[in-house]
Amino acid sequence: MFQNFRLSMAWLHTWFGLVLGFVLMVVFFFGSLSVFDREIDRWAIPSSRFAPQPMPSFDQILTPAFEKMQPAKEAVALLEGRVNGPLPERFELATSWGAYTTHRDPVVSVFAGFKVPDAKDPEETVFAVHALDPRSGAVLPQGQLRIGSEFFYPLHYSLHLGWKDLGYWVVGFSALMMLAALVSGVVMHRKIFREFFTFRRHKTVQRGALDLHNLTGVVALPFHFFFAFTGLVIFAGIYFPVAHTQLHDLHEQHERVEAQATGLPHERAGVAAPMASVDAMVAEARRRWEAKGMAGDVGFVNVQHVGDANAYVSVYRAGTDRVALTGEGVHFKATTGELLREDPPRSAVDSVNEFLTGLHLQHFRHWLLRWLYVLGGLLGCVCIATGFLFFVEKRKQQHAKAGGQGSRVVDALAVTTVTGMLVATMAMLVANRLLPESLADKGAWERNVFWSAWALTMLHAVVRGGALARAGTNPAWREQCWAIAAGALTAVVANALTTGDHLGRTLSTGYWPVAGVDLSLIATAVIAALVARKLAQRARRSSSAASSAPAALKTAEARHG
Amino acid sequence: MPPIALLLRIGAAILGGYAFCWGFIAVAHSGLYGLGMPFHDAEHLSAILGVLLYLVVFLWSFAARRIGVIWAVLLAGGGVITGAAALIQRALLA
Repeated sequence: MFQNFRLSMAWLHTWFGLVLGFVLMVVFFFGSLSVFDREIDRWAIPSSRFAPQPMPSFDQILTPAFEKMQPAKEAVALLEGRVNGPLPERFELATSWGAYTTHRDPVVSVFAGFKVPDAKDPEETVFAVHALDPRSGAVLPQGQLRIGSEFFYPLHYSLHLGWKDLGYWVVGFSALMMLAALVSGVVMHRKIFREFFTFRRHKTVQRGALDLHNLTGVVALPFHFFFAFTGLVIFAGIYFPVAHTQLHDLHEQHERVEAQATGLPHERAGVAAPMASVDAMVAEARRRWEAKGMAGDVGFVNVQHVGDANAYVSVYRAGTDRVALTGEGVHFKATTGELLREDPPRSAVDSVNEFLTGLHLQHFRHWLLRWLYVLGGLLGCVCIATGFLFFVEKRKQQHAKAGGQGSRVVDALAVTTVTGMLVATMAMLVANRLLPESLADKGAWERNVFWSAWALTMLHAVVRGGALARAGTNPAWREQCWAIAAGALTAVVANALTTGDHLGRTLSTGYWPVAGVDLSLIATAVIAALVARKLAQRARRSSSAASSAPAALKTAEARHG
Repeated sequence: MPPIALLLRIGAAILGGYAFCWGFIAVAHSGLYGLGMPFHDAEHLSAILGVLLYLVVFLWSFAARRIGVIWAVLLAGGGVITGAAALIQRALLA
């Protein structure tokens, strides 16, 4: 069908890269922001602007909070149709309680799972999730959106398309196409080493875009490959749910065997029983880590079968000082505090898996590497965006002559996913600072601002796209760059005015989460303004060139008209 | 190139590739578990290899000359190994 291998790979690269590139742009950009999701949370929720805290006392702080928790209305609403009879008002039977924190978290994430009575699936569980102030035990209002970890981060891997997990599948397929684009990109360009050192900035936009596309693709090739691949590995259980479908029976058998081997009960006993001091169990777990020569902080505490005679407590060590996430679980009988089991050392396969996923999720403490991740992610964005530009530049003359709309549509979508995405992000941050803290469902308003602003940028890009019909440049690129610069500066000023945490204060006290977000916003504003100015100069040059040669243009038009 | 040939190729790469990798993951998972590897180790290892295999068969679906061969290998091959996984599971549960 294709004449040769190289042409088949070029076709694949061009068309799958184009179609899925719009998704990949979102994935790469919000993935880059997610590297600092906890810091963006601090910026967005001023009441959480304090220093990271260790895991608080379970008995004093967490248990009273868990006992008051109930799933949110939205989580309950999702159960519609999965229950025989009406949905309950209150959920009484907690199946599990969990508390999770990292070295960057002032607030602890707490989640309680509840059994759903009369559910069609007897294992149906509904969760209540909160951020909790570990100093007081107060939960943050559920209406306040942690923009970094609850909006940008899920946008990175699920696009917030909840229906049937569609977003996960779209992102997963895009990641596979990223891998395919990397392989096919290498196949297409045999002189990869020479192209690596080629950047013809002063030639045409088309040459410059292609050179930058090759350069950013090649220089960060291992980074791009690794992240797309490990992203797929992290969600492999969603993409290939073999163990929960075809091999479900084998999985069940394994779980029963394992419950026997580990002594951790698989089921509730059905007999209510009070819980012993969890703090004592945590202290014992820490003593055991220290005895193994790996003293560390608690990252995750989980109580399974809450309030039952079979309840057990699992204490996991935080992965602050290594690539793998939480681990070294120590498990106790909840009613007595008696040790049930200590996790054995990781197997070889488990170590590889933890390394792959841990390096992607990077919960460890290494600020330089964290910034390199941002750089790698943004290089990916440049690679994808220049791919769009090259696609348009290569075809727009021909489309303009033939009256085709192809490059106009692609260009409008490129504007939407490159500058439009940034405009929407800035609009959301500005809304976060300007909407009153007391507003119920403030988070929902912020989400609406984000999606509305993004939709408006698309409309703007389409309306302003007429220039492409004359093989020109869409002025929406320039105009949206100005909008980005204005939005970013407004966000910085609004943060200073509404919270008093201006850069003078955050820099002098060394509160880097907020100072870092502010400085990044200012850097974004400067870059956007420089780009806008450059684009304006180029537009002036090309319009004066066009007016100085009207005769030639007319003959050309006459010839093709 | 006729659109139908292109659609057949895209379909083979996406759907055929998925079916084939599903079969691979199922047979590797149950097979490795049967050979004594811990359940979740077998699950992770087969998933890691399965994802890389998907990339390979996806590219192959565009590079290979004959579309019929692609579909035959992916669907029939995928079916056979998926069936093999079912048999391994049955043997292990017995």
